[in-house]
Amino acid sequence: MKKTYFILIAAAGLLLSCAALLFAQGLDFSGRTGLPAGVDISGSWYPQPFQDSGLITASGALIEYGGIPLNEAGRLYALAWSPSRIQGRQHQCMGYIPPYTYNQPGNLRFWEERDPYTHRLLAIKHYWQISEGTRTIWMDDRPHPPEYAQHTWAGFATGKYEGNALTVYTTHLKRGWIRANGLAQSDEATVTEHFIRHGDRITYLSVVNDPVYLAEPFSRTYTLGRYVKEPDAWLYACDDGEQILGRREDQVESYFWGQHPFLREFGTKYNIPLLATLGGPETMYPELLDRFSNPAAMDASAAALVVPSAGAPHTSRTKDPDPHDGEIHVLPAQGNVYMLVGDGGNIAVQVGDQGALVVNSGAGQLSDKIVAAVRKLSEKPVQFIVNTNFFPDLTGGNVKLRAAGFDPSVQGSFFSGQFADAGQGATIIGQQNVQNHLIALKAPAEGWPSDTFVQGRRRKFHNGEAVEILSQPNAVTDGDSVVHFRRSDVIVTGEIFSTVSFPRIDVKNGGSIQGELEALNNILDRTVYKHDEEDGTMIIPGHGRLCDEWEVAEYRDMLVIIRDRVQDLIKKGATLERVKAARVTADYDDRFGATAGPWTTDMFVEAVYSTLKSPPKAAQKN
Amino acid sequence: MTIHAVVAFGLATLAGVAHGQGANGRGGQPPRTPKAAALYDITGYWVSVVTEDWRFRMVTPPKGDFTGITLNPEGVKIANAWDPAKDEAAGEQCKSYGAVNLMRVPGRLHITWENDQTLKIEADNGQQTRLLNFAPGDQGASQQPSWQGFSKAMWETVPAGRGAPPVGSLKIMTTRLKPGYLRKNGVPYSGNATLTEYFDRVNETNGDAYLVVSTTVEDPTYLAQPFLTSSHYRKQADGSGWKPRACSAR
Repeated sequence: MKKTYFILIAAAGLLLSCAALLFAQGLDFSGRTGLPAGVDISGSWYPQPFQDSGLITASGALIEYGGIPLNEAGRLYALAWSPSRIQGRQHQCMGYIPPYTYNQPGNLRFWEERDPYTHRLLAIKHYWQISEGTRTIWMDDRPHPPEYAQHTWAGFATGKYEGNALTVYTTHLKRGWIRANGLAQSDEATVTEHFIRHGDRITYLSVVNDPVYLAEPFSRTYTLGRYVKEPDAWLYACDDGEQILGRREDQVESYFWGQHPFLREFGTKYNIPLLATLGGPETMYPELLDRFSNPAAMDASAAALVVPSAGAPHTSRTKDPDPHDGEIHVLPAQGNVYMLVGDGGNIAVQVGDQGALVVNSGAGQLSDKIVAAVRKLSEKPVQFIVNTNFFPDLTGGNVKLRAAGFDPSVQGSFFSGQFADAGQGATIIGQQNVQNHLIALKAPAEGWPSDTFVQGRRRKFHNGEAVEILSQPNAVTDGDSVVHFRRSDVIVTGEIFSTVSFPRIDVKNGGSIQGELEALNNILDRTVYKHDEEDGTMIIPGHGRLCDEWEVAEYRDMLVIIRDRVQDLIKKGATLERVKAARVTADYDDRFGATAGPWTTDMFVEAVYSTLKSPPKAAQKN
Repeated sequence: MTIHAVVAFGLATLAGVAHGQGANGRGGQPPRTPKAAALYDITGYWVSVVTEDWRFRMVTPPKGDFTGITLNPEGVKIANAWDPAKDEAAGEQCKSYGAVNLMRVPGRLHITWENDQTLKIEADNGQQTRLLNFAPGDQGASQQPSWQGFSKAMWETVPAGRGAPPVGSLKIMTTRLKPGYLRKNGVPYSGNATLTEYFDRVNETNGDAYLVVSTTVEDPTYLAQPFLTSSHYRKQADGSGWKPRACSAR
């Protein structure tokens, strides 16, 4: 008995010694042995209500921008924003982006995702109640996606432990809110976040870099408190509805600059000079205190900030999503449809048991690589090429792609005997005016659409799904179409929608601002989001990144707002030069503008002006 | 080996390990001072970035506006009785520049080590000085209540990985405060208030560095629950923006 007792004591002593030695090595026995240590933020949390109370979620007064380092575009965007916009169908269930999502009243949860075999930390998952957002913070050093990949409310986030903080870097965010009073964070913004845990509290520091709407990095903190007892409220259902009956689809409420009805409301209520309420970098720093001593001077300075500054339009500050590396890049869009990037306009490829159906053919500089890329996606050759427009960067590869293809549906058919070359090469489909314009341009005949339609839609059941080619009269030209792959639920918009420029409305060839708006609304009539304005129907634009309906709605809103400004000036008798000088696109120039190249902001404004003054002859409706 | 020998061996091992862990005298060397043991450097000039609670910090809110602060009935009564002229007449213009609110005041900080045991924070706005005392044992019992009170500081560490340097925060607990204001418009804290702060430094890839101050105010006299805020400062290359301003009651 005494011997047994001795052995137990000896074993305990040795274990104690070993444990002490391990402790000395810095091991914490929490399952992270040998892995980078970090402050664990797993669990359920809630935003503490003490700071910025009254500014949570959709709250906040109009013209309450103090402390936000807005640039001119950011301020003008906010000044034009009317709260009525959130009643628009596509805005009702808008998601939340970081860091805005940490300033909402709902519950938050973090949890780890570990490799089941090695227990290495792969990701930290995050869910927030308001808008039911889910975010993955990748901890495995993976690279961020290319610029042409989809943007989401949660963005693409990577994290690492630095000191006692979890640092997260996020790209690929959608346009969302800094504050839901019109203070926008653009889809070009990147966010760095630091989660610093002190017991049952996380102090959260975010730094937003936004080349479109901010003049300098925007840093701010929030505080999260840890739930001791797990909450049971996690959902936030949202479906959009008919909030305002009879509102036209091309009606987007906005305030004209210099005519804001509530410009001084907030400042007057709290005795704050207008200049300070308009934001800007200077409102973040103590030097602002010196200016309060001269309210008259502040007011005089403020007057210049509520309208665009004089001068030339700004040029876009965004990154070009085209890699320009001489390669064709393939991005799965959804279902059987892929997006090919790299040779002018975007190309869509639908594959299946039948030959590939390709929408647009690029600029013709990398056609061989496009053919090779399609062959990797499909064992069958290209069977159909759809042209959504005649522009050279969409049709430049017609000849080579057609030649590389084969259309068995016409070879040996009843009518094919009349054509010696029936089935030799892919069949090119397009609205009749695409053919007309290519003929007028003296483009090679082998690249003309041979299967044309005039109005309404051309439809096919191909590769196991319905494919609709829908004419959009007088949009960018008189020959535009969009293509809807119905089972894959992907819409290819051609030139009607772009994430890189204002629409290239070609007035000479039948384009018009009103037709462009109708086309965008036609697209939106066909889209359904999966959850809170995200996913569901995917959109391949003529140029730029893969999208969903949110970006189309934003683009539509922008064009309506610009149209209304131009229309207002026309009603007041403004000449084109005066409209240009008014900088009617000033809140969007930093995102879409150009002062050089084939399509400048001035050319776009001229197209809007001229087609409002002289609309094209009404074309056939769908 | 006897039972006593086994236990003694274990205790000796633990003691040795504990000795090797700390900043206190590895290998017979003298203990490292708090200055030498600093987890990160927060000295230098910092400018407040006023992006949270802007309308409560950059301008003086109206009387009775204590949005976000859970005052008890006595606190509400005091807040609603705010009279800046009375404060001026009493020479108490600095009531909103006490330690509880000083880090929320727009301005610049100059942080230096006054000695190996004391970190000094000077604020240009209000011309206040805080002393963070790392010396063991000293609880400031002999100190009279003041705007900045008595601040006890420590480097609080959390376990790091094998061989990794310790990580953690600068933790500060402040007591012996003279009654003052949580906000400039007379939202009160009492002499019973205690202030717990964490000072953390984070570095951005573009070279910017931020000092993040997490604050908890507890005051059984005027607050119904602890009041939590966070403030942040951006590192400055030098003191060129330093601009001393007198306390203002309005």
